[in-house]
Amino acid sequence: MSSVTDTLPSGPTRSKMSDEGFISSLVAAVAISLFLIASLLVPNFFQWQNVVNLVTNNWAVIALGVGVSFLLVSGNFDLSVGGIVALSGVLSVWFAQSTEGANALSTGLGLPYGLAIACALLGSLAIGALNALFVVRFGIPSIIVTLGTMMVARGIAQVITHGSQRNTNLPDAFGYLGNLSLFGTSIKFPVVLMGLLLVVAIFVERKMVFGRITYWIGANPEAASLSGIDRARHITKLYLFSAGIAGVVGILLASEYKSGFSNRGLLMEFDALVIALLGGVAIAGGFGSVIGMFFGAIILAVVTSAATGLVLSPDWQFILKAVAVFLAIVTQTWALARRNK
Amino acid sequence: MTEEQKTSVLSVDGLTKDYPGVRAVDNVTFSIQNSVVHCLVGENGAGKSTLVKMLTGALAPTAGAMTVNGKAYVPTSPQEAREGGIATLFQELHVVDELTVLENLTLGMEKSRFGFFVKSDLEDRVTQTLATIEPAIDPAARVSTLSVAQKQIVEIARAASSGANIIIMDEPTAALSEREVERLFTVIRRLRENNVTVIYISHKLDEIFELGDTVTVMRDGKHITTCPLSDVDGRAELIEMMIGRTVFQSYSPRGKIGEKVVLKAEGLNTKLLKNVSFDIKEGEIIGFYGLVGAGKTEVARALFGADSFDGKVTFHGKPGGRTPKEAIAKGIALVPEERRTQGLFTSLTIRENVPVMNLPRVTQNGVFKAEDVRTAAQEFVTQLGIATSSIEKHTEKLSGGNQQKVVLAKCLFSQADLLLLDEPTRGVDVGAKTEIYEIIKDLANEGNAVAVFSSELEEVLGICDRVFLMFDGCLQEEIENGPNVDIAHILNVVTGGQDEDAR
Repeated sequence: MSSVTDTLPSGPTRSKMSDEGFISSLVAAVAISLFLIASLLVPNFFQWQNVVNLVTNNWAVIALGVGVSFLLVSGNFDLSVGGIVALSGVLSVWFAQSTEGANALSTGLGLPYGLAIACALLGSLAIGALNALFVVRFGIPSIIVTLGTMMVARGIAQVITHGSQRNTNLPDAFGYLGNLSLFGTSIKFPVVLMGLLLVVAIFVERKMVFGRITYWIGANPEAASLSGIDRARHITKLYLFSAGIAGVVGILLASEYKSGFSNRGLLMEFDALVIALLGGVAIAGGFGSVIGMFFGAIILAVVTSAATGLVLSPDWQFILKAVAVFLAIVTQTWALARRNK
Repeated sequence: MTEEQKTSVLSVDGLTKDYPGVRAVDNVTFSIQNSVVHCLVGENGAGKSTLVKMLTGALAPTAGAMTVNGKAYVPTSPQEAREGGIATLFQELHVVDELTVLENLTLGMEKSRFGFFVKSDLEDRVTQTLATIEPAIDPAARVSTLSVAQKQIVEIARAASSGANIIIMDEPTAALSEREVERLFTVIRRLRENNVTVIYISHKLDEIFELGDTVTVMRDGKHITTCPLSDVDGRAELIEMMIGRTVFQSYSPRGKIGEKVVLKAEGLNTKLLKNVSFDIKEGEIIGFYGLVGAGKTEVARALFGADSFDGKVTFHGKPGGRTPKEAIAKGIALVPEERRTQGLFTSLTIRENVPVMNLPRVTQNGVFKAEDVRTAAQEFVTQLGIATSSIEKHTEKLSGGNQQKVVLAKCLFSQADLLLLDEPTRGVDVGAKTEIYEIIKDLANEGNAVAVFSSELEEVLGICDRVFLMFDGCLQEEIENGPNVDIAHILNVVTGGQDEDAR
């Protein structure tokens, strides 16, 4: 990532930005430039409402990206978040559906809504605990473990929905949270929640012991242990944290659509991973920031929505995403190497 | 001279290797005859490893020439070295567990055409080589089912069948039991009968007398002698040649050692350690001296709770910590053996490295007090004389000595009253070394207990008040440091000599 040669002090006046700050600014600059370029090409792209949409349409992936970024910084993957989104949504619907439905798919457990979502959240945390158990206790590589739990979570969701969806016999309160608009604007409650999560995550990452421990573990796990850090405990917390976020996202999405759909959140784990990498989080751990991840999400959103605006067939979206990812990561590696020369 | 060169398989002439500020190998000239076991001895830092690295092509000499089998020899990789006739058996094994013995032996030597293997006499040849040196190993057996000693023999067979007629063995008995050592020796003798020359490097002098035909002694990078072992008058003379008069005695008693026992270890046992017991007093600098693999690091890690062990550690009258976290909380800190992989967060800055071992000191309700962290880092940079432009510098960009000072700063920040320093000055330049010794003495003078685990005798005798000599997982002897320390006796003990041999 950086060379070993000494950098000379660059004069007393200029205080040097950290590498993370540098990469985050770089990602932000790329996001803004891409937005401006798209504005030149796509009619009506350059609008305030469009900027807002870029964020609000992607609240779910950005929220998942927070947990995934923290884990990546600690040197661990979490591919289970997409599956957890499906599972917790389906669970919340099943728990809340009333007991006397006409058929199996419209019959649930009839729990009050509050209790239903609490139980759905517990189900999500159970998947997070399973991740932690296998990664921490049995020392299995996290990419394998979370690939497995991704399928476990989605598999349970499919069994409960019989491979389809549950959307009948729900109490009226069920659709409230996901569609609640705040401040008399069109901004919805889930988006506000995501904003709060970002602010808290940035504070934790920068200022709190919890955040720094994540970096220490990622930078050098052995040195972290020998410095008195309880690695197992911290990674367990991170998996629970990530699964918890995914659980809340799943519950809110289920509420928004008033349904529990076993394919909801499909490939979201990969989008969350991609935006973290786009935002400069190192896949080997020890480096990265939530702000970078946020702008990574914006880059991906600009590319996708500009493609739609250019009337490109949706079939091209994956190719475009791939090009954006490669370009962004090559640029970062190059810029960081150059800076540390 | 010309006659000698005719029969020699390997000769080096004026070989020199310079590192910045150090001449690791200084104008070394000697030659080795065909079909002998030639031993290479010297203290740590005498230049043996550097010499071997030049022979195997891992390092290029600064000056001088090498001749192997009558041809000029300038290897640039282990592959080229093997083609030139020199194969090396390293301490770590390089066998593939999932393959059979035979597949391991032919690995990388298979002939192929259009991507398919071609049947050749290779398999017969390697099977024969293996049968010659150790008939007990079945070529069809999976390597994962073999013992460490057998795996080593497979590697030797691979070296021998690759066409090399010189095999370098670097501390091959370090991981072997006594019976396995005997078997290895039989193999080495068979190799010698089959016209293979073995260059044997070991710290265990008994092995050298048992096995070797000729010996080369090195000291401080210089060649002292090359002669038949029959000309050497026992361990004492060999040790004298190894140490010369170069051990520099700079110890001066500090006189402020308390009487209060800080740490007491009783009957520590691990896979390597055997019934290790000792105590450390307030304000005392204790040394643990022994060769690589004697168990020094294991003692340090046990005291720190980094490895599990049987036995009892009492610290300030209470049980010691069973994990590093507990140990640190009780007031024990460790500077680990490998600073880059175990001690330092190299991708982070000095400021980010310093506070890790004592977070409560610079945080409130889980939030860092940024100003306190900066002040602490700045103070250590000044106090320990860390040469850096700023506390925001990434530690990977610091020199070895300054990196070690950052690791030391981490430990000092934990406010421990027992510091365990494992090889505190390894890979550190002379200037920083002296500074680190001063820091250690200051710490002890302030009443802290310090334990130094080192394989450098000069270091241990330079700063420690009491020294424990270790060999093969045992605490052999405890000596008080002072002007009358018998260095020959120390070297005899740590190389496995019995007490009655000492003169």
